[in-house]
Amino acid sequence: MSSDPDKLVAKADKLTKLTLTRWSADWRNATLNYEQAANAYRVAKKYEKSKDAFEKASKGQEMLSSPWDAAKHMESAAALAKELGNWNEVADLYRRASELYVECGRAQPASDALGKAARVVEDHLPDVAVQLYTDAISLLEEDDKDQMAFDLYRALTAVHIKLEKYTDAAAALLRLGLAADKSNATNSQFKAYLGAIIVYLYAHDVKAAEKCYNDCSQIPAFLGSDQGRCGSRLISAYSEGAVEEIKRLAQSSTISHLDHAIIKLGRKLPTGEVTAVKAGTEEGEGLDENDLT
Amino acid sequence: MSVIDIIFRVDEICKRYDKYDIEKQRELNAYGDDVFARLYATVEADIDAAMGKADRAAKESKRAVTAALNAENRKTKARLMDEVTKLQKLARKKVKGLSKEEQAIRADLVLALPERIQAIPDGTTTGADQGGGWGGSASHKNITFDTSEENLNDDFFQQSEESSQFRQEHERRKLKQACKDEGLDVISDGLDTLKNLAHDMGEELDRQVPLMDEIDTKVDRANSELRNTNVRLKQTITSLRSSRNFCIDIILLCVILGIASYIYKYVCVLYLNSLTYFLLPLLAVFHLLSCLANTYLFCTCCSILQG
Repeated sequence: MSSDPDKLVAKADKLTKLTLTRWSADWRNATLNYEQAANAYRVAKKYEKSKDAFEKASKGQEMLSSPWDAAKHMESAAALAKELGNWNEVADLYRRASELYVECGRAQPASDALGKAARVVEDHLPDVAVQLYTDAISLLEEDDKDQMAFDLYRALTAVHIKLEKYTDAAAALLRLGLAADKSNATNSQFKAYLGAIIVYLYAHDVKAAEKCYNDCSQIPAFLGSDQGRCGSRLISAYSEGAVEEIKRLAQSSTISHLDHAIIKLGRKLPTGEVTAVKAGTEEGEGLDENDLT
Repeated sequence: MSVIDIIFRVDEICKRYDKYDIEKQRELNAYGDDVFARLYATVEADIDAAMGKADRAAKESKRAVTAALNAENRKTKARLMDEVTKLQKLARKKVKGLSKEEQAIRADLVLALPERIQAIPDGTTTGADQGGGWGGSASHKNITFDTSEENLNDDFFQQSEESSQFRQEHERRKLKQACKDEGLDVISDGLDTLKNLAHDMGEELDRQVPLMDEIDTKVDRANSELRNTNVRLKQTITSLRSSRNFCIDIILLCVILGIASYIYKYVCVLYLNSLTYFLLPLLAVFHLLSCLANTYLFCTCCSILQG
Protein backbone atom coordinates (compact mmCIF):
# COMPACT_ATOMS: atom_id res chain seq x y z
CA MET A 1 0.00 0.00 0.00
CA SER A 2 1.39 3.37 -0.93
CA SER A 3 1.79 5.68 1.97
CA ASP A 4 1.18 8.79 -0.06
CA PRO A 5 -2.12 10.12 1.18
CA ASP A 6 -3.13 11.67 -2.13
CA LYS A 7 -2.75 8.38 -3.88
CA LEU A 8 -4.68 6.61 -1.16
CA VAL A 9 -7.54 9.05 -1.44
CA ALA A 10 -7.57 8.73 -5.21
CA LYS A 11 -7.64 4.97 -4.96
CA ALA A 12 -10.41 5.02 -2.41
CA ASP A 13 -12.43 7.39 -4.57
CA LYS A 14 -12.04 5.05 -7.47
CA LEU A 15 -13.22 2.16 -5.34
CA THR A 16 -16.37 3.96 -4.35
CA LYS A 17 -17.33 5.42 -7.69
CA LEU A 18 -19.80 3.26 -9.55
CA THR A 19 -18.92 2.69 -13.20
CA LEU A 20 -19.75 0.17 -15.84
CA THR A 21 -17.10 -2.21 -14.62
CA ARG A 22 -17.84 -1.73 -10.94
CA TRP A 23 -21.44 -2.32 -9.96
CA SER A 24 -21.08 -2.12 -6.20
CA ALA A 25 -18.72 0.05 -4.24
CA ASP A 26 -16.07 -1.68 -2.16
CA TRP A 27 -16.58 0.27 1.01
CA ARG A 28 -14.31 -1.79 3.21
CA ASN A 29 -11.14 -1.15 1.31
CA ALA A 30 -12.19 2.39 0.55
CA THR A 31 -12.72 3.15 4.22
CA LEU A 32 -9.37 1.63 5.07
CA ASN A 33 -7.71 3.86 2.49
CA TYR A 34 -9.54 6.91 3.67
CA GLU A 35 -8.49 6.30 7.27
CA GLN A 36 -4.86 5.86 6.35
CA ALA A 37 -4.92 8.95 4.18
CA ALA A 38 -6.56 11.00 6.93
CA ASN A 39 -3.95 9.99 9.48
CA ALA A 40 -1.16 10.75 7.04
CA TYR A 41 -2.61 14.19 6.32
CA ARG A 42 -2.97 14.89 10.02
CA VAL A 43 0.66 14.07 10.63
CA ALA A 44 1.62 16.28 7.71
CA LYS A 45 -0.57 19.01 9.24
CA LYS A 46 -2.74 19.35 6.14
CA TYR A 47 -5.86 19.89 8.19
CA GLU A 48 -8.29 20.64 5.41
CA LYS A 49 -7.48 17.47 3.50
CA SER A 50 -7.39 15.42 6.68
CA LYS A 51 -10.81 16.68 7.65
CA ASP A 52 -12.23 15.74 4.25
CA ALA A 53 -10.65 12.31 4.44
CA PHE A 54 -12.12 11.72 7.89
CA GLU A 55 -15.55 12.74 6.67
CA LYS A 56 -15.33 10.29 3.82
CA ALA A 57 -14.06 7.57 6.16
CA SER A 58 -17.00 8.23 8.42
CA LYS A 59 -19.39 7.86 5.51
CA GLY A 60 -17.68 4.60 4.60
CA GLN A 61 -18.13 3.26 8.12
CA GLU A 62 -21.76 4.23 7.94
CA MET A 63 -22.13 2.21 4.78
CA LEU A 64 -20.48 -0.68 6.58
CA SER A 65 -23.17 -0.18 9.26
CA SER A 66 -20.86 0.53 12.14
CA PRO A 67 -22.16 3.86 13.43
CA TRP A 68 -19.70 3.83 16.33
CA ASP A 69 -16.64 4.04 14.08
CA ALA A 70 -18.44 6.53 11.88
CA ALA A 71 -19.10 8.73 14.89
CA LYS A 72 -15.48 8.49 16.00
CA HIS A 73 -14.26 9.60 12.58
CA MET A 74 -16.75 12.44 12.56
CA GLU A 75 -15.38 13.60 15.90
CA SER A 76 -11.83 13.54 14.56
CA ALA A 77 -12.99 15.56 11.57
CA ALA A 78 -14.62 18.07 13.91
CA ALA A 79 -11.43 18.38 15.97
CA LEU A 80 -9.54 19.20 12.78
CA ALA A 81 -12.17 21.72 11.78
CA LYS A 82 -11.52 23.35 15.15
CA GLU A 83 -7.85 23.71 14.17
CA LEU A 84 -8.97 25.35 10.97
CA GLY A 85 -11.33 27.67 12.78
CA ASN A 86 -14.55 26.96 10.88
CA TRP A 87 -16.85 27.27 13.83
CA ASN A 88 -20.05 26.54 12.00
CA GLU A 89 -18.55 23.46 10.49
CA VAL A 90 -17.29 22.33 13.89
CA ALA A 91 -20.79 22.58 15.29
CA ASP A 92 -22.25 20.67 12.33
CA LEU A 93 -19.70 17.91 12.46
CA TYR A 94 -20.10 17.40 16.17
CA ARG A 95 -23.86 17.34 15.77
CA ARG A 96 -23.55 14.66 13.11
CA ALA A 97 -21.24 12.68 15.39
CA SER A 98 -23.73 12.98 18.23
CA GLU A 99 -26.54 11.70 16.00
CA LEU A 100 -24.43 8.70 15.07
CA TYR A 101 -23.76 7.99 18.74
CA VAL A 102 -27.48 8.14 19.42
CA GLU A 103 -27.91 5.60 16.62
CA CYS A 104 -25.56 3.31 18.53
CA GLY A 105 -27.79 3.87 21.53
CA ARG A 106 -25.08 5.47 23.63
CA ALA A 107 -26.36 8.74 25.03
CA GLN A 108 -23.29 9.59 27.10
CA PRO A 109 -20.82 9.91 24.21
CA ALA A 110 -23.47 11.76 22.21
CA SER A 111 -23.87 14.33 24.93
CA ASP A 112 -20.10 14.48 25.36
CA ALA A 113 -19.72 15.28 21.67
CA LEU A 114 -22.23 18.13 21.92
CA GLY A 115 -20.55 19.35 25.09
CA LYS A 116 -17.18 19.43 23.37
CA ALA A 117 -18.70 21.31 20.48
CA ALA A 118 -20.29 23.87 22.77
CA ARG A 119 -17.05 24.40 24.64
CA VAL A 120 -15.19 25.01 21.41
CA VAL A 121 -17.65 27.51 19.94
CA GLU A 122 -18.76 29.30 23.09
CA ASP A 123 -16.23 32.07 22.58
CA HIS A 124 -17.16 32.68 18.97
CA LEU A 125 -20.81 31.66 18.59
CA PRO A 126 -22.35 31.87 22.06
CA ASP A 127 -25.93 31.37 20.87
CA VAL A 128 -24.99 28.21 19.06
CA ALA A 129 -23.17 27.12 22.20
CA VAL A 130 -26.32 27.67 24.25
CA GLN A 131 -28.29 25.53 21.83
CA LEU A 132 -25.67 22.79 21.91
CA TYR A 133 -25.57 22.73 25.70
CA THR A 134 -29.35 22.53 25.92
CA ASP A 135 -29.42 19.63 23.49
CA ALA A 136 -26.67 17.84 25.38
CA ILE A 137 -28.54 18.26 28.65
CA SER A 138 -31.81 16.99 27.18
CA LEU A 139 -30.00 13.93 25.78
CA LEU A 140 -28.75 13.02 29.23
CA GLU A 141 -32.03 13.74 30.97
CA GLU A 142 -33.91 11.48 28.55
CA ASP A 143 -31.53 8.73 29.50
CA ASP A 144 -31.99 9.38 33.24
CA LYS A 145 -28.38 10.33 33.73
CA ASP A 146 -29.03 13.61 35.46
CA GLN A 147 -25.87 13.67 37.49
CA MET A 148 -23.71 13.90 34.39
CA ALA A 149 -25.65 16.95 33.37
CA PHE A 150 -24.47 19.09 36.28
CA ASP A 151 -21.27 20.18 34.57
CA LEU A 152 -23.22 21.04 31.43
CA TYR A 153 -25.66 23.13 33.44
CA ARG A 154 -22.83 25.01 35.06
CA ALA A 155 -21.19 25.69 31.73
CA LEU A 156 -24.53 26.85 30.32
CA THR A 157 -24.97 29.24 33.23
CA ALA A 158 -21.49 30.63 32.65
CA VAL A 159 -22.32 31.28 29.00
CA HIS A 160 -25.55 33.05 29.91
CA ILE A 161 -23.77 35.19 32.46
CA LYS A 162 -21.19 36.12 29.85
CA LEU A 163 -23.98 37.11 27.52
CA GLU A 164 -25.48 39.08 30.44
CA LYS A 165 -28.78 37.24 30.14
CA TYR A 166 -29.34 36.96 33.86
CA THR A 167 -32.87 35.60 33.78
CA ASP A 168 -31.71 32.79 31.53
CA ALA A 169 -28.78 32.11 33.82
CA ALA A 170 -31.03 31.97 36.87
CA ALA A 171 -33.44 29.70 35.00
CA ALA A 172 -30.58 27.37 34.12
CA LEU A 173 -29.51 27.29 37.76
CA LEU A 174 -33.03 26.44 38.86
CA ARG A 175 -33.13 23.60 36.34
CA LEU A 176 -29.85 22.41 37.79
CA GLY A 177 -31.48 22.47 41.19
CA LEU A 178 -34.31 20.35 39.85
CA ALA A 179 -31.91 17.82 38.33
CA ALA A 180 -29.96 17.68 41.58
CA ASP A 181 -33.19 17.13 43.45
CA LYS A 182 -34.01 14.14 41.26
CA SER A 183 -30.68 12.54 41.95
CA ASN A 184 -30.64 13.50 45.65
CA ALA A 185 -27.59 15.72 45.41
CA THR A 186 -28.70 18.17 48.06
CA ASN A 187 -25.48 20.15 48.30
CA SER A 188 -25.43 20.93 44.60
CA GLN A 189 -29.12 21.71 44.72
CA PHE A 190 -28.78 24.27 47.49
CA LYS A 191 -25.73 25.81 45.89
CA ALA A 192 -27.69 26.15 42.65
CA TYR A 193 -30.55 27.90 44.45
CA LEU A 194 -28.24 30.29 46.24
CA GLY A 195 -26.56 30.98 42.90
CA ALA A 196 -29.91 31.80 41.32
CA ILE A 197 -30.73 34.23 44.13
CA ILE A 198 -27.37 35.94 43.69
CA VAL A 199 -27.87 36.21 39.93
CA TYR A 200 -31.23 37.89 40.44
CA LEU A 201 -29.73 40.27 42.99
CA TYR A 202 -26.89 41.09 40.63
CA ALA A 203 -29.43 41.96 37.96
CA HIS A 204 -30.92 44.17 40.68
CA ASP A 205 -34.23 42.38 40.54
CA VAL A 206 -34.82 42.17 44.29
CA LYS A 207 -38.45 41.12 43.89
CA ALA A 208 -37.51 38.20 41.70
CA ALA A 209 -34.79 37.24 44.15
CA GLU A 210 -37.27 37.27 47.00
CA LYS A 211 -39.75 35.25 45.01
CA CYS A 212 -37.02 32.81 44.11
CA TYR A 213 -36.04 32.52 47.75
CA ASN A 214 -39.62 31.88 48.78
CA ASP A 215 -40.03 29.25 46.10
CA CYS A 216 -36.89 27.50 47.20
CA SER A 217 -37.90 27.69 50.84
CA GLN A 218 -40.69 25.27 50.04
CA ILE A 219 -38.04 22.67 50.57
CA PRO A 220 -37.57 22.59 54.34
CA ALA A 221 -34.03 21.32 54.14
CA PHE A 222 -33.00 24.40 52.17
CA LEU A 223 -34.23 26.72 54.91
CA GLY A 224 -32.04 25.11 57.52
CA SER A 225 -29.00 24.73 55.31
CA ASP A 226 -25.99 27.01 55.17
CA GLN A 227 -26.93 28.28 51.75
CA GLY A 228 -30.52 28.96 52.77
CA ARG A 229 -29.45 30.99 55.75
CA CYS A 230 -27.00 32.96 53.64
CA GLY A 231 -29.75 33.61 51.10
CA SER A 232 -32.19 34.81 53.74
CA ARG A 233 -29.55 37.09 55.23
CA LEU A 234 -28.82 38.53 51.81
CA ILE A 235 -32.49 39.19 51.11
CA SER A 236 -33.03 40.81 54.50
CA ALA A 237 -29.87 42.88 54.09
CA TYR A 238 -31.18 44.08 50.74
CA SER A 239 -34.58 44.94 52.16
CA GLU A 240 -32.98 46.82 55.04
CA GLY A 241 -30.49 48.52 52.78
CA ALA A 242 -27.44 47.53 54.83
CA VAL A 243 -24.70 47.81 52.23
CA GLU A 244 -21.93 46.77 54.61
CA GLU A 245 -23.91 43.69 55.57
CA ILE A 246 -24.28 42.78 51.91
CA LYS A 247 -20.56 43.27 51.32
CA ARG A 248 -19.70 41.21 54.38
CA LEU A 249 -22.00 38.40 53.32
CA ALA A 250 -20.53 38.44 49.83
CA GLN A 251 -17.10 37.75 51.30
CA SER A 252 -18.38 34.91 53.44
CA SER A 253 -17.21 31.37 52.94
CA THR A 254 -20.61 30.06 51.86
CA ILE A 255 -20.52 32.10 48.69
CA SER A 256 -16.87 31.28 48.08
CA HIS A 257 -17.85 27.66 47.60
CA LEU A 258 -20.14 28.35 44.69
CA ASP A 259 -19.28 28.35 41.01
CA HIS A 260 -16.57 30.75 39.85
CA ALA A 261 -18.83 32.83 37.67
CA ILE A 262 -21.25 33.28 40.53
CA ILE A 263 -18.50 34.17 42.99
CA LYS A 264 -17.48 36.96 40.62
CA LEU A 265 -21.05 38.23 40.57
CA GLY A 266 -21.33 37.95 44.31
CA ARG A 267 -18.20 39.99 44.96
CA LYS A 268 -19.66 42.77 42.84
CA LEU A 269 -22.84 42.99 44.91
CA PRO A 270 -24.60 45.29 45.61
CA THR A 271 -25.26 46.75 42.19
CA GLY A 272 -26.94 50.07 42.12
CA GLU A 273 -28.72 51.79 44.96
CA VAL A 274 -30.13 49.64 47.69
CA THR A 275 -33.28 51.44 48.82
CA ALA A 276 -34.20 50.44 52.35
CA VAL A 277 -37.05 52.88 52.94
CA LYS A 278 -39.11 51.59 50.07
CA ALA A 279 -38.65 48.07 51.29
CA GLY A 280 -39.60 49.17 54.83
CA THR A 281 -43.00 50.54 53.82
CA GLU A 282 -43.60 47.49 51.67
CA GLU A 283 -42.97 45.30 54.66
CA GLY A 284 -45.39 47.38 56.69
CA GLU A 285 -48.10 46.80 54.12
CA GLY A 286 -47.27 43.15 54.14
CA LEU A 287 -47.89 43.00 57.88
CA ASP A 288 -51.24 44.71 57.43
CA GLU A 289 -52.32 42.16 54.87
CA ASN A 290 -51.40 39.41 57.27
CA ASP A 291 -53.49 41.02 60.00
CA LEU A 292 -56.52 41.27 57.75
CA THR A 293 -56.40 37.60 56.76
CA MET B 1 -56.79 15.59 103.83
CA SER B 2 -54.28 13.73 101.67
CA VAL B 3 -51.51 15.36 99.75
CA ILE B 4 -53.24 14.72 96.41
CA ASP B 5 -56.33 16.60 97.51
CA ILE B 6 -54.24 19.52 98.58
CA ILE B 7 -52.49 19.57 95.25
CA PHE B 8 -55.75 19.52 93.31
CA ARG B 9 -57.23 22.27 95.39
CA VAL B 10 -54.16 24.44 94.97
CA ASP B 11 -54.29 23.90 91.19
CA GLU B 12 -57.95 24.92 91.08
CA ILE B 13 -57.29 28.06 93.08
CA CYS B 14 -54.34 28.96 90.87
CA LYS B 15 -56.40 28.48 87.72
CA ARG B 16 -59.15 30.72 89.06
CA TYR B 17 -56.76 33.48 89.98
CA ASP B 18 -54.60 33.15 86.85
CA LYS B 19 -56.02 36.31 85.44
CA TYR B 20 -54.39 38.21 88.28
CA ASP B 21 -51.00 36.72 87.58
CA ILE B 22 -49.18 39.52 85.82
CA GLU B 23 -46.43 37.39 84.43
CA LYS B 24 -48.75 34.87 82.88
CA GLN B 25 -50.97 37.54 81.38
CA ARG B 26 -47.95 39.21 79.99
CA GLU B 27 -46.92 35.94 78.34
CA LEU B 28 -50.38 35.29 76.93
CA ASN B 29 -50.73 38.80 75.61
CA ALA B 30 -47.32 38.88 74.08
CA TYR B 31 -48.04 36.07 71.61
CA GLY B 32 -49.78 36.86 68.39
CA ASP B 33 -49.68 40.62 68.35
CA ASP B 34 -46.54 42.02 67.04
CA VAL B 35 -42.92 41.08 66.83
CA PHE B 36 -41.82 43.79 69.24
CA ALA B 37 -43.86 42.57 72.18
CA ARG B 38 -42.81 38.99 71.62
CA LEU B 39 -39.15 39.85 71.42
CA TYR B 40 -39.40 42.14 74.39
CA ALA B 41 -41.03 39.41 76.44
CA THR B 42 -38.26 36.97 75.57
CA VAL B 43 -35.60 39.54 76.46
CA GLU B 44 -37.33 40.18 79.76
CA ALA B 45 -37.46 36.49 80.55
CA ASP B 46 -33.78 36.14 79.72
CA ILE B 47 -32.86 39.07 81.96
CA ASP B 48 -34.81 37.54 84.82
CA ALA B 49 -33.18 34.19 84.33
CA ALA B 50 -29.77 35.83 84.30
CA MET B 51 -30.59 37.68 87.49
CA GLY B 52 -31.64 34.42 89.11
CA LYS B 53 -28.33 32.87 88.08
CA ALA B 54 -26.45 35.85 89.45
CA ASP B 55 -28.22 35.43 92.79
CA ARG B 56 -27.27 31.79 92.91
CA ALA B 57 -23.70 32.63 91.96
CA ALA B 58 -23.47 35.17 94.77
CA LYS B 59 -24.75 32.63 97.29
CA GLU B 60 -22.72 29.71 95.96
CA SER B 61 -19.63 28.65 97.80
CA LYS B 62 -18.02 26.40 95.20
CA ARG B 63 -15.77 28.42 92.86
CA ALA B 64 -16.38 26.17 89.87
CA VAL B 65 -20.14 26.59 90.00
CA THR B 66 -19.80 30.34 90.51
CA ALA B 67 -17.46 30.61 87.55
CA ALA B 68 -19.80 28.59 85.35
CA LEU B 69 -22.80 30.68 86.27
CA ASN B 70 -20.86 33.88 85.73
CA ALA B 71 -19.73 32.69 82.30
CA GLU B 72 -23.31 31.88 81.35
CA ASN B 73 -24.39 35.31 82.45
CA ARG B 74 -21.69 36.92 80.36
CA LYS B 75 -22.84 35.00 77.30
CA THR B 76 -26.45 35.91 77.92
CA LYS B 77 -25.53 39.56 78.28
CA ALA B 78 -23.70 39.59 74.97
CA ARG B 79 -26.64 37.95 73.26
CA LEU B 80 -29.14 40.29 74.83
CA MET B 81 -27.20 43.34 73.65
CA ASP B 82 -27.70 42.09 70.08
CA GLU B 83 -31.38 41.60 70.73
CA VAL B 84 -31.59 45.14 72.04
CA THR B 85 -30.38 46.55 68.72
CA LYS B 86 -33.10 44.56 66.98
CA LEU B 87 -35.66 45.81 69.46
CA GLN B 88 -34.59 49.38 68.82
CA LYS B 89 -35.26 48.96 65.13
CA LEU B 90 -38.61 47.30 65.78
CA ALA B 91 -39.61 49.98 68.26
CA ARG B 92 -39.05 52.66 65.64
CA LYS B 93 -41.36 50.88 63.21
CA LYS B 94 -44.94 52.00 63.10
CA VAL B 95 -47.40 49.27 63.88
CA LYS B 96 -51.12 49.74 63.30
CA GLY B 97 -53.25 49.79 66.44
CA LEU B 98 -50.62 51.36 68.61
CA SER B 99 -51.10 54.87 69.90
CA LYS B 100 -48.33 57.45 69.81
CA GLU B 101 -47.88 57.24 73.58
CA GLU B 102 -47.41 53.51 73.49
CA GLN B 103 -44.87 53.99 70.75
CA ALA B 104 -42.98 56.41 72.96
CA ILE B 105 -43.21 54.04 75.90
CA ARG B 106 -41.76 51.30 73.76
CA ALA B 107 -38.86 53.47 72.77
CA ASP B 108 -38.18 54.27 76.41
CA LEU B 109 -38.33 50.61 77.36
CA VAL B 110 -35.83 49.71 74.71
CA LEU B 111 -33.53 52.49 75.82
CA ALA B 112 -33.65 51.25 79.38
CA LEU B 113 -32.83 47.70 78.41
CA PRO B 114 -29.09 48.03 77.78
CA GLU B 115 -28.47 49.36 81.25
CA ARG B 116 -30.51 46.59 82.78
CA ILE B 117 -28.56 44.04 80.81
CA GLN B 118 -25.23 45.47 81.83
CA ALA B 119 -26.37 45.52 85.41
CA ILE B 120 -26.64 41.74 85.55
CA PRO B 121 -23.67 40.72 87.68
CA ASP B 122 -21.35 38.23 86.04
CA GLY B 123 -18.31 38.42 88.24
CA THR B 124 -16.45 41.02 86.18
CA THR B 125 -18.66 44.07 86.33
CA THR B 126 -17.33 46.96 88.40
CA GLY B 127 -19.56 48.70 90.85
CA ALA B 128 -18.96 52.20 89.50
CA ASP B 129 -20.85 51.74 86.23
CA GLN B 130 -24.09 50.79 87.82
CA GLY B 131 -25.12 54.17 89.12
CA GLY B 132 -27.74 55.79 86.93
CA GLY B 133 -29.99 54.51 84.24
CA TRP B 134 -32.62 52.92 86.39
CA GLY B 135 -35.11 55.73 86.03
CA GLY B 136 -36.50 54.85 82.63
CA SER B 137 -37.49 51.36 83.61
CA ALA B 138 -39.73 52.44 86.42
CA SER B 139 -42.93 52.34 84.35
CA HIS B 140 -43.30 48.57 83.85
CA LYS B 141 -42.63 45.52 85.98
CA ASN B 142 -41.84 47.31 89.16
CA ILE B 143 -41.96 44.19 91.28
CA THR B 144 -39.08 42.31 89.72
CA PHE B 145 -37.00 45.43 89.28
CA ASP B 146 -37.01 46.34 92.94
CA THR B 147 -35.74 42.97 94.08
CA SER B 148 -32.89 42.92 91.57
CA GLU B 149 -32.00 46.46 92.44
CA GLU B 150 -31.67 45.48 96.06
CA ASN B 151 -29.40 42.61 95.16
CA LEU B 152 -27.24 44.82 93.04
CA ASN B 153 -26.94 47.35 95.81
CA ASP B 154 -25.47 44.66 98.02
CA ASP B 155 -23.05 43.59 95.31
CA PHE B 156 -22.21 47.19 94.64
CA PHE B 157 -20.86 47.66 98.15
CA GLN B 158 -18.98 44.39 98.10
CA GLN B 159 -17.19 44.95 94.83
CA SER B 160 -16.23 48.56 95.22
CA GLU B 161 -13.07 47.61 97.10
CA GLU B 162 -11.67 45.37 94.39
CA SER B 163 -13.08 47.37 91.49
CA SER B 164 -9.78 48.35 89.94
CA GLN B 165 -8.51 44.78 89.92
CA PHE B 166 -11.69 43.57 88.33
CA ARG B 167 -11.50 46.26 85.70
CA GLN B 168 -8.00 45.17 84.72
CA GLU B 169 -9.02 41.55 84.60
CA HIS B 170 -12.01 42.52 82.46
CA GLU B 171 -9.79 44.30 79.95
CA ARG B 172 -7.34 41.41 79.80
CA ARG B 173 -10.13 38.90 79.29
CA LYS B 174 -11.61 41.05 76.55
CA LEU B 175 -8.30 41.04 74.65
CA LYS B 176 -7.89 37.30 75.07
CA GLN B 177 -11.42 36.78 73.91
CA ALA B 178 -10.75 38.88 70.82
CA CYS B 179 -7.72 36.77 69.93
CA LYS B 180 -9.66 33.59 70.56
CA ASP B 181 -12.48 34.88 68.40
CA GLU B 182 -10.11 35.51 65.50
CA GLY B 183 -8.67 32.04 65.87
CA LEU B 184 -12.11 30.55 66.02
CA ASP B 185 -13.08 32.46 62.90
CA VAL B 186 -10.17 30.99 61.01
CA ILE B 187 -11.05 27.54 62.24
CA SER B 188 -14.67 28.00 61.25
CA ASP B 189 -13.70 29.06 57.73
CA GLY B 190 -11.48 26.03 57.39
CA LEU B 191 -14.27 23.78 58.58
CA ASP B 192 -16.65 25.35 56.07
CA THR B 193 -14.27 24.55 53.26
CA LEU B 194 -13.84 21.01 54.53
CA LYS B 195 -17.56 20.49 54.74
CA ASN B 196 -18.03 21.75 51.22
CA LEU B 197 -15.28 19.52 49.91
CA ALA B 198 -16.71 16.53 51.71
CA HIS B 199 -20.17 17.16 50.27
CA ASP B 200 -18.82 17.49 46.76
CA MET B 201 -16.75 14.35 47.10
CA GLY B 202 -19.78 12.49 48.33
CA GLU B 203 -21.81 13.60 45.33
CA GLU B 204 -19.04 12.66 42.93
CA LEU B 205 -18.86 9.18 44.41
CA ASP B 206 -22.63 8.84 44.14
CA ARG B 207 -22.31 9.79 40.49
CA GLN B 208 -19.70 7.16 39.81
CA VAL B 209 -21.43 4.23 41.52
CA PRO B 210 -23.76 3.36 38.61
CA LEU B 211 -20.88 3.77 36.16
CA MET B 212 -18.86 1.25 38.13
CA ASP B 213 -21.77 -1.17 38.10
CA GLU B 214 -21.96 -0.90 34.32
CA ILE B 215 -18.25 -1.49 34.00
CA ASP B 216 -18.60 -4.49 36.27
CA THR B 217 -21.23 -6.19 34.10
CA LYS B 218 -19.37 -5.44 30.88
CA VAL B 219 -16.08 -6.75 32.22
CA ASP B 220 -17.76 -9.89 33.48
CA ARG B 221 -19.20 -10.53 30.05
CA ALA B 222 -15.88 -9.92 28.34
CA ASN B 223 -14.18 -12.21 30.85
CA SER B 224 -16.48 -15.14 30.14
CA GLU B 225 -16.19 -14.65 26.39
CA LEU B 226 -12.42 -14.60 26.66
CA ARG B 227 -12.42 -17.82 28.65
CA ASN B 228 -14.58 -19.52 26.06
CA THR B 229 -12.30 -18.39 23.28
CA ASN B 230 -9.24 -19.58 25.15
CA VAL B 231 -10.65 -23.06 25.63
CA ARG B 232 -11.60 -23.38 21.99
CA LEU B 233 -8.18 -22.18 20.90
CA LYS B 234 -6.49 -24.67 23.15
CA GLN B 235 -8.58 -27.45 21.67
CA THR B 236 -7.73 -26.41 18.12
CA ILE B 237 -4.02 -26.22 18.82
CA THR B 238 -3.87 -29.58 20.55
CA SER B 239 -5.71 -31.17 17.65
CA LEU B 240 -3.25 -29.69 15.22
CA ARG B 241 -0.16 -30.63 17.09
CA SER B 242 -1.13 -34.10 18.37
CA SER B 243 1.69 -36.60 18.26
CA ARG B 244 0.19 -38.64 15.42
CA ASN B 245 0.09 -35.68 13.08
CA PHE B 246 3.53 -34.62 14.18
CA CYS B 247 4.99 -37.99 13.09
CA ILE B 248 3.29 -37.70 9.71
CA ASP B 249 4.85 -34.22 9.36
CA ILE B 250 8.33 -35.55 10.04
CA ILE B 251 8.00 -38.53 7.70
CA LEU B 252 6.78 -36.41 4.81
CA LEU B 253 9.60 -33.93 5.37
CA CYS B 254 12.17 -36.71 5.25
CA VAL B 255 10.67 -38.05 2.05
CA ILE B 256 10.79 -34.63 0.42
CA LEU B 257 14.40 -34.12 1.49
CA GLY B 258 15.39 -37.52 0.13
CA ILE B 259 13.80 -36.84 -3.21
CA ALA B 260 15.39 -33.40 -3.34
CA SER B 261 18.87 -34.81 -2.70
CA TYR B 262 18.31 -37.52 -5.33
CA ILE B 263 17.17 -34.97 -7.91
CA TYR B 264 20.09 -32.73 -7.03
CA LYS B 265 22.53 -35.55 -7.71
CA TYR B 266 20.68 -36.37 -10.89
CA VAL B 267 20.66 -32.72 -12.02
CA CYS B 268 24.39 -32.34 -11.43
CA VAL B 269 25.12 -35.35 -13.59
CA LEU B 270 22.72 -34.27 -16.31
CA TYR B 271 23.82 -30.65 -16.31
CA LEU B 272 27.26 -31.75 -17.39
CA ASN B 273 25.72 -33.33 -20.52
CA SER B 274 23.16 -30.91 -21.88
CA LEU B 275 20.87 -28.10 -20.91
CA THR B 276 17.74 -29.24 -22.74
CA TYR B 277 17.46 -32.35 -20.68
CA PHE B 278 17.75 -30.14 -17.63
CA LEU B 279 14.34 -28.64 -17.93
CA LEU B 280 12.27 -31.83 -18.15
CA PRO B 281 13.49 -33.37 -14.92
CA LEU B 282 13.07 -30.03 -13.25
CA LEU B 283 9.45 -29.99 -14.25
CA ALA B 284 9.09 -33.52 -13.00
CA VAL B 285 10.61 -32.54 -9.68
CA PHE B 286 8.24 -29.65 -9.27
CA HIS B 287 5.30 -31.85 -10.14
CA LEU B 288 6.35 -34.38 -7.54
CA LEU B 289 6.85 -31.74 -4.89
CA SER B 290 3.43 -30.24 -5.52
CA CYS B 291 1.82 -33.67 -5.27
CA LEU B 292 3.55 -34.27 -1.97
CA ALA B 293 2.48 -30.87 -0.69
CA ASN B 294 -1.09 -31.59 -1.67
CA THR B 295 -1.10 -34.91 0.12
CA TYR B 296 0.38 -33.25 3.17
CA LEU B 297 -2.27 -30.57 3.18
CA PHE B 298 -4.93 -33.18 2.67
CA CYS B 299 -3.72 -35.05 5.72
CA THR B 300 -3.74 -31.95 7.93
CA CYS B 301 -7.21 -31.00 6.76
CA CYS B 302 -8.47 -34.42 7.60
CA SER B 303 -6.97 -34.21 11.06
CA ILE B 304 -8.52 -30.77 11.68
CA LEU B 305 -11.91 -32.03 10.58
CA GLN B 306 -11.55 -35.01 12.79
CA GLY B 307 -10.45 -33.09 15.82
